[in-house]
Amino acid sequence: MAAPIIMLGRNAGAVARTIFRTSRALHQVGICGLYDRPAIFSQSCRLLLPATFHIASILRNAPAITVTDEPDALYQKVEVLVKGHDKAVLDSYEFFATMAAKELGIGLSKVYEPPKHIERLTLLKSVHIFKKHRVQYEMRTHFRCIELSRITGSTAQVYLEYIQRNLPEGVAMEVTKTAIEKVPEHIQKPMWDEVPTKEQEQEQASQ
Amino acid sequence: MSASTMCTTALSFTRTSGHCLTNYALNVLGRRATYSTALSTTNAKGFPDRSNRGPRRPRRESGEPRTEKMPEAQDWTAVYPSAAAFKPSAVPLPVRMGYPVNRGVPPEKKGNLELIKIPNFLHLTPAAIKKHCEALKPFCTEWPVGVDSEAASEKHFPIQVESKEFVSAGSSLRNPKARVVTLQVKLSSLNLDDHARRKMIKLVGNRYCIETDTLTIVTDCCPLRQQNYDYAMYLLTVLYHESWKTEAWEAEKTREDMEEYHWEGSPSQKNVLDMLQRMRATSEGEEDPSAVRQELLGRPEVQEYRDSVTRLKNEGETEETMLQYREAVKKLLNI
Repeated sequence: MAAPIIMLGRNAGAVARTIFRTSRALHQVGICGLYDRPAIFSQSCRLLLPATFHIASILRNAPAITVTDEPDALYQKVEVLVKGHDKAVLDSYEFFATMAAKELGIGLSKVYEPPKHIERLTLLKSVHIFKKHRVQYEMRTHFRCIELSRITGSTAQVYLEYIQRNLPEGVAMEVTKTAIEKVPEHIQKPMWDEVPTKEQEQEQASQ
Repeated sequence: MSASTMCTTALSFTRTSGHCLTNYALNVLGRRATYSTALSTTNAKGFPDRSNRGPRRPRRESGEPRTEKMPEAQDWTAVYPSAAAFKPSAVPLPVRMGYPVNRGVPPEKKGNLELIKIPNFLHLTPAAIKKHCEALKPFCTEWPVGVDSEAASEKHFPIQVESKEFVSAGSSLRNPKARVVTLQVKLSSLNLDDHARRKMIKLVGNRYCIETDTLTIVTDCCPLRQQNYDYAMYLLTVLYHESWKTEAWEAEKTREDMEEYHWEGSPSQKNVLDMLQRMRATSEGEEDPSAVRQELLGRPEVQEYRDSVTRLKNEGETEETMLQYREAVKKLLNI
């Protein structure tokens, strides 16, 4: 029994609660209802929606794949260094990043933990005088390094964007990319071989 | 009303203190009772009521937590589709977090601030990661087949360009180290002849590492990374073309400017030939000096001496080089 939403002169909290109650009622009945509660969707409307619904609902319109003629960049090594104050958070993030790399077919050369850095301060405890009484603080920064080897530019862009969007609060990241390139055309041969011919042409043109 | 207030407050006082202070408490509170107000602002528990001065809103009991209704084979990616705070009523795990007070256990998840403060990865379970990667797969490209080994990548793509990117939260998103570009290339992969290679090494100075034969150019003078990269490529181009040019003043290169030691024309050669000439002159008569020198140079001992001295000067003093020099001198002087 779907209860109609009756709008009375109440404040926003009450309205929200009404909507919530109505949506819960709808959920119990099993009708697909409100679009701002995807959590309810999954339990009631599994038959109508494909497994990728959640991603689609987040991305709205799935971006089209464009193929350009521009040559893809090649990265010999992409090193992702994450820094944080909590080691457990970095552990979880490492699990996520390594799993994502495996799923996308990216080769991992090294995953290691550089030693932590502790910055210590000794300050005066009191606002005024009492020099003998101090208080000590320390700030610990833990690191985690993930090295990806032999990755193309498109894949690197996709992977890094995915990783960076899911970076937790209080964690910083530094990405070092080593791209490999061909020797450009203007460094293949010394230009002094061609310069005399240009001078000859100029002479011929002036004559 | 004042008497009742006094009684309730007295009772509350004795209950909270935990001891039976009946006589003392009542005496103390009895003296204070004369100041009680007409309206009671305390409720039955003895705590002050929130001042809204209207009819009190009844406190609604929260319903059954969602965890009771969750089937075991549910789709967890629907419960936590994106990053969200920890909701104890939505996470069916018996998690405990916090410091155990009074030799107890860590506090439960209901109303636990520590669990809300810490970032959680409930939205990034293996199932969720797999789903995300399935959606991201079409945007990835594969590594080209012919460049699999180190040697192949060195041969076809000798130039290495290194740059950094930073992601952090702060008052500014910019990081000044992000515009630095490092270009590394092995000189053996560039088209350089002997003179061009020596000139290039002299031009770059300490940017060239002899052991690895690598030229490293670090640029950070421009404000953008793209500009720094263009500048680094420009420097490489200029160095390359300038090193192929031969200037007029390069003919004035002296012995001190040479990178390696050459025995021909050195004081060592002069001394050895003089010495051998004198040794010969004692035994035989006078001959044409230049012809004698040419003949002496052709001798195998002199050649060996030349090799040992060159090796000693270029490679430095090691056991091997010293032994070789010793043998050569012994042969030369017929010891």
